Amino acid sequence: MVNFTVEEIRGLMDNPVNIRNMSVIAHVDHGKSTLTDSLVQRAGIISAKNAGAQRYTDTRPDEQERGVTIKSTAISLYGSLVDDEDLKDIPIKTEKNDFLVNLIDSPGHVDFSSEVTAALRVTDGALVVVDTVEGVCVQTETVLRQALGERIKPVVIINKVDRALLELQVSKEDLYQNFSRVIESVNVVIATYFDKVLGDVQVYPDRGTIAFGSGLHGWAFTVRQFASRYAKKFGVDKNKMMQRLWGDNFFNAKTKKWVKTPEEGVERAFNQFCLDPIFRIFDCIMNFKKEETAKLIEKLEIKLAGDEKDLEGKQLLKVVMRKFLPAADALMEMMILHLPSPAVAQKYRMETLYEGPPDDESAIGIRDCDPKGPLMCYVSKMVPTSDKGRFYAFGRVFSGTAKSGMKVRIQGPNYTPGKKEDMFMKSIQRTVLMMGRVTEPIEDVPAGNILGLVGIDQFLLKSGTLTTSETAHNLKVMKFSVSPVVQRSVEVKNANDLPKLVEGLKRLSKSDPCVLVMITDSGEHVVAGAGELHLEICLKDLEEDHAGVPLRISDPVVQYRETVSGDSRMTALSKSPNKHNRLYVTATPLAEEVAKDIESGKINPRDDFKARARILADDHGWDITDARKIWCFGPDTNGANLLVDQTKAVQYLNEIKDSVVSGFQWATKEGPVAEEPMRSVRFNIMDVTLHADAIHRGGGQIIPTARRVLYAATLLADPGLMEPVFLVEIQVPEQAMGGIYGVLTRRRGHVFEEAQRPGTPLFNVKAYLPVNESFGFNADLRSATSGQAFPQMVFDHWQILPGGSPLDKTTMPGKIVEDMRKRKGIKPEVPGYENYYDKL
Amino acid sequence: MYATAPVLSTPAEHIFEEESPIIPPLPLDDEQLYVQYEIQRTVNEIRDGRWTRIALQFPDEMLVHAPRVFDRLQHELRLRPPSNAVHVIEGGVEAIRLHDQGDGAGNGTCDDGIGAKLCILADTSYGACCVDEVAAEHVDAEVVVHYGRACLSPTARLPVIYVFTTKPLDQEAAVTSFIRTFPNQDERVCLLADIPYHHHLSRLGERLREEGYTKYCVTDILSDPSSLIPNRTVPTDVRDEPGKLREYSVFHISTPPTSLLLTLSSRVKSIHIYPTDASIPTKSALQPASSTALLRRRYALVTRLSTVPVFGILINTLSVSNYMAALSHVQDLITRAGKKYYVFVVGKVNAAKVANFAEIGGWVVIGCWESSLVESKDFYRPIITPFELEVALTDDRERVWGGEWVGDFAALLKRGDNMSATGHVAEEMPGTVDGFGGQHDGEDSTWDDQPSDEEPEFDLRTGRYVSQSRPMGRQKQVSSASRSNGTTAQSQASRNATPSSALVQRAKGEVALVNGAVSPAAEYLRTKRTWQGLGSDYEIAYERDAEGKIQGALMEEGRSGVAKGYMVGSAVDQRT
Repeated sequence: MVNFTVEEIRGLMDNPVNIRNMSVIAHVDHGKSTLTDSLVQRAGIISAKNAGAQRYTDTRPDEQERGVTIKSTAISLYGSLVDDEDLKDIPIKTEKNDFLVNLIDSPGHVDFSSEVTAALRVTDGALVVVDTVEGVCVQTETVLRQALGERIKPVVIINKVDRALLELQVSKEDLYQNFSRVIESVNVVIATYFDKVLGDVQVYPDRGTIAFGSGLHGWAFTVRQFASRYAKKFGVDKNKMMQRLWGDNFFNAKTKKWVKTPEEGVERAFNQFCLDPIFRIFDCIMNFKKEETAKLIEKLEIKLAGDEKDLEGKQLLKVVMRKFLPAADALMEMMILHLPSPAVAQKYRMETLYEGPPDDESAIGIRDCDPKGPLMCYVSKMVPTSDKGRFYAFGRVFSGTAKSGMKVRIQGPNYTPGKKEDMFMKSIQRTVLMMGRVTEPIEDVPAGNILGLVGIDQFLLKSGTLTTSETAHNLKVMKFSVSPVVQRSVEVKNANDLPKLVEGLKRLSKSDPCVLVMITDSGEHVVAGAGELHLEICLKDLEEDHAGVPLRISDPVVQYRETVSGDSRMTALSKSPNKHNRLYVTATPLAEEVAKDIESGKINPRDDFKARARILADDHGWDITDARKIWCFGPDTNGANLLVDQTKAVQYLNEIKDSVVSGFQWATKEGPVAEEPMRSVRFNIMDVTLHADAIHRGGGQIIPTARRVLYAATLLADPGLMEPVFLVEIQVPEQAMGGIYGVLTRRRGHVFEEAQRPGTPLFNVKAYLPVNESFGFNADLRSATSGQAFPQMVFDHWQILPGGSPLDKTTMPGKIVEDMRKRKGIKPEVPGYENYYDKL
Repeated sequence: MYATAPVLSTPAEHIFEEESPIIPPLPLDDEQLYVQYEIQRTVNEIRDGRWTRIALQFPDEMLVHAPRVFDRLQHELRLRPPSNAVHVIEGGVEAIRLHDQGDGAGNGTCDDGIGAKLCILADTSYGACCVDEVAAEHVDAEVVVHYGRACLSPTARLPVIYVFTTKPLDQEAAVTSFIRTFPNQDERVCLLADIPYHHHLSRLGERLREEGYTKYCVTDILSDPSSLIPNRTVPTDVRDEPGKLREYSVFHISTPPTSLLLTLSSRVKSIHIYPTDASIPTKSALQPASSTALLRRRYALVTRLSTVPVFGILINTLSVSNYMAALSHVQDLITRAGKKYYVFVVGKVNAAKVANFAEIGGWVVIGCWESSLVESKDFYRPIITPFELEVALTDDRERVWGGEWVGDFAALLKRGDNMSATGHVAEEMPGTVDGFGGQHDGEDSTWDDQPSDEEPEFDLRTGRYVSQSRPMGRQKQVSSASRSNGTTAQSQASRNATPSSALVQRAKGEVALVNGAVSPAAEYLRTKRTWQGLGSDYEIAYERDAEGKIQGALMEEGRSGVAKGYMVGSAVDQRT
């Protein structure tokens, strides 16, 4: 049944020019998995009948049940162009008309964006699916932005055209207008994130980078396909024809002339040549005009099988359309012609992929996609195997060849060249081909391909770099667009199950790129996810699969951050336990942009300090000498708090730097207000006096003192709590708008943008909603709008919790702090600054 | 910012400033002093033991009374010389007299009592609850009189007379509170009291019998921290069947030490604490004290320390018997886990002392069972007990944290002996080293077939992988394996590596090795510390000639002479 073998695929792998690695990305429910089915069907893996209904790449039972993709799934397919002549249209010289398409279907729900990121990293092109009716939605924009950030070229398919025809009954011209609006908004997004190296990647129907179709019915077309048909018929150049089949081109059938302006009785070429046949088929079949149907079928040279002739209505429509304009043909053509092969893509992706210098052997191997170069392989996620607790490492070979039995260096995300930390040697036990729900063993995998690796899972938590070169730096660690801001704590019902829970938590942490599991200081096992749905799925997996023991799960809570909202009222002073050393420190808020840049990795503790100082001085108005004297970032040496040395001529300062930094890491990890991590605080060391004898200024004297003085400085600088805020996008019909506002206001949310979707009664509402208030928001919204509003929530930023000082118990922040402190088993009152401040 | 240059050091007298002022106890008149410090009993016991050199150990807050107690004792000893009845002392520890055996014991006099020499130990180097045997041995004492509340840990060398210095209690209020807490008169209740209140218990018991309670049990003090109720006798029916203790509730007078609370929480039904620090005695019903939150916090510490590569062992006592056994047990545990330890002997543990060793990831304290539970946020790295260490070093796949908590390491050692047959065998199975290797057979034999690097460990606290949590490797297994291979291999190895007296130059940049593994502390110094000593923060710029060789400088004459007055140049001439 499968019309290609592993051997054939292995053969194709050797020729990078004939490989396309691509991911299917879109907003939730725009039909990615359904469209993918048409391609899988073409490969003979599922029958034509089931295509569009089976969602082959939704491999988990709950994905099938809920009808939502949760994990990204990869599948390798064989593809070819219908016409060998088309090979000439590929920008780079290609000889054989045999292609290996490695396709990754990704989830559309915002909560699972991290899966998209992991998919994008290993692909070079993206098929962006947009719903005709809903248009470009928030997640469409997010995934497009991510794709462009990774230098991934997009092509677009406008999906669900059947809905426009059957449900909305639009006219041809309306449909055309609708298409162009959608295309325009896609191009606006693409233009916003323009990348010079990638060049102009806006999409145009007349260049063949846009397809129109219906995944459910299994048909799709590009303007190019129609152009080829008509080019033969009219005997004109195909490319010229393509130009004419889109935009303001009109063909006057009477005068046989092309004109640029609409005239009476003259139709737009697109409508006349592309849409008209489709409209006619729909009209004939759906209105049961049997004779006309038969005639039309004959005219379009569609051959129906015996039993298919008896079908009627939608069933017949599906069969006819699928034979007339098979979706797989249009998609394959678009992907093969317009998406880059690894050989092309790695040339310009190398510098965004590789952390090391652009001229070392690894970088050159990646750039040339060289199967003989040093192995450079990026593992972007871990896929559970049928063997409980073991995982396939899923990734892509960028350089060299991955073989079974090969000894490789496994470099974790914290690896720095030359150090032993986070680096392991281990042999690859097997390499496999990921084929959706099954895997096929394969001898070796050369550069440019996607693969699964067996036997190295114990060394990788979520992602990492595999290499054979001792000098290789890491491939860049992925940055996710979502953060795990919603958390729940879990505990076992039976104390003896604890080891199983711990083991389960470890597996859960591996199986999802974004989820975070940890034990808090108060001894709770916490699972943090990007949103309620994400967390729900994770906890379900944990309970049923990874741990397999009954659990008690707490209500969702959010993690707060401690910060300061003003400058320290006075310089904080703390003395060491032996009273011989003094530290003087002030705290001041860090600009939000700086904090964000640190979190997004733009300002990185690992950067060269001079380059970093430049960015701080040029973009954020820092004093250049201050910017160069940043001692460290914290917590965990990479958080968004800074320690800046502003002392002048202090003796022995170098000697205590390590101790002060330790104290800083400690203090920023557990702030003074509620022992939550700090964020967005800049500490300035104003002055230091030290004992002249080294023995009296050791770590024991300085570390606790540094922590005390930082606490004092924070408490003196108007401390505040920060809470995470979701960006909510809601699509809603006009009449249900009122309900939205009510629900949002009750939950401290506020609308900041409201726009009508042109041509529809739908409104797009954008609002900010504190994560803490978002629990149960969906249900609330559904009842307030009688189920007509569909929200998407994604973490956007941190904001200071309004309502007063957290030190004052009568305010809302004060109450939250008190509750937190009680939960943690520490005394409910926040200690005053006097506890940390020493008088001179 | 500052007009004058900053003073680089604080005046030395600051060191004498009191860190935390101690509230002086109420002044006592002679009568009270006599009663509270049990002068009479002490004298009798000293006489009975025929001890001549006596050390008096006071906790800090009682030092005020020390001179007067000293005076009274000396006076009494002179006044009434000890009996000449010869007591055979069978082992030092046996000599502890916990109860006043009546003052009629003396039935004769002897003049040698004049020679008794008393001595106040004013500065206890360990916790005030422990007997400071070292300090006592400095004065050649034969016996220590320990004042104040004590942890009653068995001592190794010297006999001890404990004086608990009683405190007053409003008994009626306590009884009322008891009745309200346990309205059911058939409730099984253990009466416990903190040591200074213990003498009230028998009276309290009588009062309760009058009230109609039948199933209560008054505990007695016992010097055995590994008892089911530490340092107390258990009810008679529990003695035969330890599980029965779980049917008892505990009524505890005064706040117990945290470690007692933790130890008891899993062993009894509930614990009710009668507070004594309030100015007005409580009469209301008492809520059971919960140690769940505390146990969870300890659990967090334990999991946090399970991936730590280097441990510090703090020896916080020298008086508790079998601390050496505990030390070697702990050392063995750490070595077996492939981690590194350093041993430190400290007096009082404080944040400043332990923060001096930045390379140490966590501390294990070997001390008396009460003071080894350090529940403070001020320490840079957490401090745990040997029991908790045992849990921390258990593999994640086996670690269970129920309610059980053991503070006393004698009990732990006993437990360890019983468990070694079952628990540790699993730990040494090679299968667990390679993850799931043991579970796979047949078709999946390809999973783990080649030796390679140690797997990283999952740090539960941060949710990340830690790569070097076992810096010393699993050497224990290797060495035992080679030993079992017979002596031939060993002797061959020793023949190959003939010890040479020649000095070997160490390769540049190489750090010290311990049994073939890189010393974690040296590694820490090299990788984590930016300050590595004088001269490491700048490069010495030698003058170089055209070929890049270091150019020699001309020798110059320096200073000469003695510290009183150095001379430069033609000093010899000047001196004459």
